[in-house]
Amino acid sequence: MKLRMFLAAALVCALLVAGTSCRQETRADEKGKIRVGIVFDIGGKDDRSFNAAAYDGVKCAETGRHPDGTPCEKPSLGIMLRDVEPGNPTSIEPAMRAFAERGYDLIIGVGFAQAPIMETVAKDYPNINFAIVDGASELPNVASLVFKEHEGSYLVGMIAAKESKTGKIGFIGGMDIGLIHRFAKGYEEGAKAARPDAEVMVNYVGVTDGAWNNPGKGKELALAQIGKGADVIFTAAGNSGLGAFDAVEQAGKDSSGRATHFVIGVDSNQNCVKPGFVLTSMVKRVDNAVYQIVSDVVEKKFKGGFHVYGLEADGVAYSMDKCNQQLIGPDVLQQAEQAKQKIIAGQVKVTDAMKQ
Amino acid sequence: MSDIFNVGLLLSALRLATPLLLAALGGLFSERAGVINIALEGLMLAGAFTAASVTWYAGSPWVGLVSAVLAGALIAAVHAVACIRYRADQVVSGTAINILLTGVPALLSGAFFLSSGSTPQVPQENLIPWTPIVIAGLLVPLTYYVLYYTPFGLRLRAVGENPEAADAAGVSVNLMRYAAVLISGALAGIGGAYLSIGQSSLFTRNMSAGRGFIALAALIFGKWRPVQTMLACLLFGFTEAVAIQLQGVRFGGEEIPTQFVQIIPYVLTIVVLAGFIGTSRAPRALGIPYQKEK
Repeated sequence: MKLRMFLAAALVCALLVAGTSCRQETRADEKGKIRVGIVFDIGGKDDRSFNAAAYDGVKCAETGRHPDGTPCEKPSLGIMLRDVEPGNPTSIEPAMRAFAERGYDLIIGVGFAQAPIMETVAKDYPNINFAIVDGASELPNVASLVFKEHEGSYLVGMIAAKESKTGKIGFIGGMDIGLIHRFAKGYEEGAKAARPDAEVMVNYVGVTDGAWNNPGKGKELALAQIGKGADVIFTAAGNSGLGAFDAVEQAGKDSSGRATHFVIGVDSNQNCVKPGFVLTSMVKRVDNAVYQIVSDVVEKKFKGGFHVYGLEADGVAYSMDKCNQQLIGPDVLQQAEQAKQKIIAGQVKVTDAMKQ
Repeated sequence: MSDIFNVGLLLSALRLATPLLLAALGGLFSERAGVINIALEGLMLAGAFTAASVTWYAGSPWVGLVSAVLAGALIAAVHAVACIRYRADQVVSGTAINILLTGVPALLSGAFFLSSGSTPQVPQENLIPWTPIVIAGLLVPLTYYVLYYTPFGLRLRAVGENPEAADAAGVSVNLMRYAAVLISGALAGIGGAYLSIGQSSLFTRNMSAGRGFIALAALIFGKWRPVQTMLACLLFGFTEAVAIQLQGVRFGGEEIPTQFVQIIPYVLTIVVLAGFIGTSRAPRALGIPYQKEK
């Protein structure tokens, strides 16, 4: 009995010591630094796409280097960064509250699904700054970082339709939700604008958050579209989209060495994921938006409300680099560039599927 | 109609049925020996992650496949020890393994690939898109033969139906059950390997997406018998393939909503389970830990 009491007491002491030492540790490295917490979407920060872009932005702000170690174009902001990857949707709120409870200066939520959660947490901590990527909130301490995905998708739709030999192109969305409809609608409009007889096949992986992590299903959908004649497929499906990359690679190349089927990447620049098979990527500069909001907090000029990123200043864009410059004809690029200017000038209006 | 029902559809059905069949046959071994194996989902994840990681490092899908078999068996051994040696509740142990395997790959991928739950993409030439399908096809007659025509199969069924009698006849109930659960893990591991290095080219978090549970449903639907279980898996694969083809198809100018198309396989499952298969009788000792009388 005595022994057990002693053990219990020792355990309590050990916990206390551990607890205090932990606290001291965080105090030491937080000295004067702006503290930023980021909560990723279910896809996780290495989805090579949407979350990866957000991670890239905060990593540049923290260290001045991309996650792979290469230097960023922008300087380090000297912040202290902590990130959380929730294993399931129920662990998002506790993660946000934990950051808020420790008095972080900025808490970033990645993904539309976190908007309602952030709304409830931000109400309880009115003195802490929050930022939500892809979500909307009216609270004064929440910055909503939103993108005009429909405009970027319009441009890749034009490119897809122009580069397609069959006149049939595909779209594979992850979860069947308004945000992804925005990609689909813009893509379809762009394709029809470039080629009125274009046929666009629209498929979704699923209706739950598991739809972002099902490359097997993504590949089957891509193969089905290829079977129906599609030769360019735009994916907006997180990890599931990588299945479509496999499908077009499997379809192979013709005698001239050009791929017979192409995929269009999304969010991050995915051109070099399968070089030669990726026509372009509809990049959404989540990295820039996230970096910008961190920098606003550092410079003490954080503002809540909507921060909208469109084609102007390349908030959304189609990406060109060494992996795809051989794949798209100069006339097609020129046409896309003209359309881009018209959209920025307001001469061409692209339907926003979320505002219908 | 012909643009939906074609050879592509049948191949697609075959590809979608394969992981289900491998996991379901795994479940069959375990459950015919009396150990509930709700852990198929986790075992598939273990196989999928191991296959993709090892193939990436070793550059050979065969090494990857063998490793996946070992990984599946290793995790199944945990289930076996908990359920057989310590007579734990088999559903609880299986659930624990499923939860464990949502986290372990994320942890290990951090250590190996500096990522958090996915592996790098394996190059196309290192994928094995057909081998697991062939293995699954061969396993059905093999399982049938082992189960009904070998002493091992007879003992396996005996410990699942009436362990006391089997014990009295000199069969080691626990040994048989250990063997059955390990085989179960190995087969589910192949199913997982198919997901990561057959059907796609990488592991992503929770990529099994409920297939382990569908396999369990197919096992029950197939009355715990190999051939019927195969037919159930093929049916599930087929309905999913049809659902994929039906997406975005217009009927009389109206597009069928995605949500509706995607419930077809599940609705069919319920209808078939409830209406057409008659009684599906589980092995009598399923879920009951065996304790030798003193």
